[in-house]
Amino acid sequence: MKPLRAAQREALTAYSFVLPAFVIILVFGLFPVGFSLVISLFNWRIKSGTFIGLDNYLELFGSLENAFGILAGVGLLAGAAWAGKGKPLAWKIAGLALALAGGSALAESLASMAAAGDADFLRSLQVTVWFSLGTVPIQLALGLGLALLLRGKFRGRQAFRAVFVVPFVVPAVASAAVFERLFSLRPESFANQVVHAWGGPTLAWLREPKSLFSLLWNATSGGAPGSLEAYWSTWALGPSLALVCVVIYNWWVYVGYYALIFANGLGSIPPQVYEAARLDGAGPLTMLRRITLPLLSPVTYFLTLLGVIGTFKAFNSLYVLRDPVTGGATDPLSVFIFFVFFHQSRFGYAAALSMVLLALVLGLTWAQRKFGERHVFYD
Amino acid sequence: MTKADRTKRITRYAVLALGAFVALLPLVYLAANSLKTAPETVTRISPNPFAPEFWPESPQWSNFVSVWEGDQFGAYFLHSLIIGGLTLAGVLTTSVLAAYAFAKLRFPGKEGLFSLLLVSLMVPETVTLIPDFLVVKALGWVDQLAAVTVPFMAGAFSLFLLRQFFRQLPQDLMDMAQIDGCSHLGIVVRIVVPLSAAPLSTVAFLDLTSSWNALQWPLVVLQSPDWRPLSVGLARLVSGSGADLPLRMAGAAIAIVPILVVFLIAQKQITESIASYGLKT
Repeated sequence: MKPLRAAQREALTAYSFVLPAFVIILVFGLFPVGFSLVISLFNWRIKSGTFIGLDNYLELFGSLENAFGILAGVGLLAGAAWAGKGKPLAWKIAGLALALAGGSALAESLASMAAAGDADFLRSLQVTVWFSLGTVPIQLALGLGLALLLRGKFRGRQAFRAVFVVPFVVPAVASAAVFERLFSLRPESFANQVVHAWGGPTLAWLREPKSLFSLLWNATSGGAPGSLEAYWSTWALGPSLALVCVVIYNWWVYVGYYALIFANGLGSIPPQVYEAARLDGAGPLTMLRRITLPLLSPVTYFLTLLGVIGTFKAFNSLYVLRDPVTGGATDPLSVFIFFVFFHQSRFGYAAALSMVLLALVLGLTWAQRKFGERHVFYD
Repeated sequence: MTKADRTKRITRYAVLALGAFVALLPLVYLAANSLKTAPETVTRISPNPFAPEFWPESPQWSNFVSVWEGDQFGAYFLHSLIIGGLTLAGVLTTSVLAAYAFAKLRFPGKEGLFSLLLVSLMVPETVTLIPDFLVVKALGWVDQLAAVTVPFMAGAFSLFLLRQFFRQLPQDLMDMAQIDGCSHLGIVVRIVVPLSAAPLSTVAFLDLTSSWNALQWPLVVLQSPDWRPLSVGLARLVSGSGADLPLRMAGAAIAIVPILVVFLIAQKQITESIASYGLKT
């Protein structure tokens, strides 16, 4: 045998170094995506059943028209976003028309999917959306506020930083176990004591599937069952009180974490920039708007992406905080799909749902990246 | 110091202190209630941690004994330690080797292979859950230790983090070692690892906590209590209706304390890594 050349030897060493990690990630992280797609085409309940093609997807959407309607709606909205950006007025008007067409296609198809397809899936999608909207913007705002106070050198800075990140570091199952009691429906629970101190009534908190707006203003849903109005009025009622508790738990976990990352970003803004602005007579608000926010935009973008994708992945705390009595009022897609798989043992259908989840996550990542390219300032 | 500066300083400390209070309050509640008697959680209550009613009349350490022995938390704790230790040993070995190859060696297909591995970071656990369960079942690993360790013995995020660091290590050092007849494995063991204490401990903390906190996967692949980890034991305790508040809180405290101890020891470095990498599993 001829002796190997040095380059070949190096390559051989490299492959043997990469192999163990590669095999594990391939088998448990990459191959499953393709396998899941295959499973989703079968009537698979614990044991692999018959091949049923797209029937699982049909069951989810209710009909082929609904699936196409949703795809067309999303496509039209994406087209509208593209047409409306930085082009002449005629394009903008065309974009507006596209947005209207896309929006109404989406509204119609989702309502008809709620009637003929999997209404529970749509409810958990709604939970996911409320969850994102309730957590990410507030965490960004409060995190940035705390980060501004962590700026510069002062006594106790590291102690504050460490304390702020504690909620993020402790196991979610354990901290959720605490919040599950803080927001218990018992009159002596922490949340009820606080409300009582302000003269309020005893509330059911995590056990309250009623929506926030219906509790606050006695709002009710309207429209004939199965109609467009009936579906969209479930949106108009807002998140359930139970979900609001989950959102508050997430603020507790993530605000300090966001603050730490923002503070790190603030630290990399050169002080000369502020010095120059001050000489030009800029006040603190102008500096925040014109210097801090634009220069922080990569961090904000990173945290937004992480936060939104995170709502599609969150599981541990939600599994502990959920109360079956609420009928899934706090189950986002991740938890809903888990129960279809684990409790109903509908492997094929759950795999189809997870494929739709994957499409959603990849689509959102792509959309945010497109948006990021345009609006994020990298130096 | 001017008056404006003083007001600013006081406001800063007041708001930061309020933030710290909110961050710690649930944990203080946990500590107080894990030591109460069951009746005390109804009769002796206050939302204010500075009031004596917030705390137990006399601490009931027996709650911890009851959870540790009666509810098997002692066994679960041991399981979690073993699972965490094995996973950590595995993931550090595979990640260090692969990260070194991706950072310092030349081989065909390097960039493509690396991007392929990074793709796995985009896939949510919900997607891999069902096929992974079927794979583990086919391997006969259900209820086995291998099911909760082997799949986590490699991670794209750890690999990525280590590669970033290894790339900055001076090439001269490795070239010299090679001239002296050192193999690549020798370089990794004698040069790279000793120089990488900071990133290695970051990766170790990250992988250890994610193993300690894992819930969804062990729920699915461990149906018997043989290897049941603490996270699953605690989730079961909480979602069942049997355990009263002090026992639940004692159980949660047992899950939190080890992580908190590690955090306190390496507090500075962990906050630093979180601030700069955003560490998220």
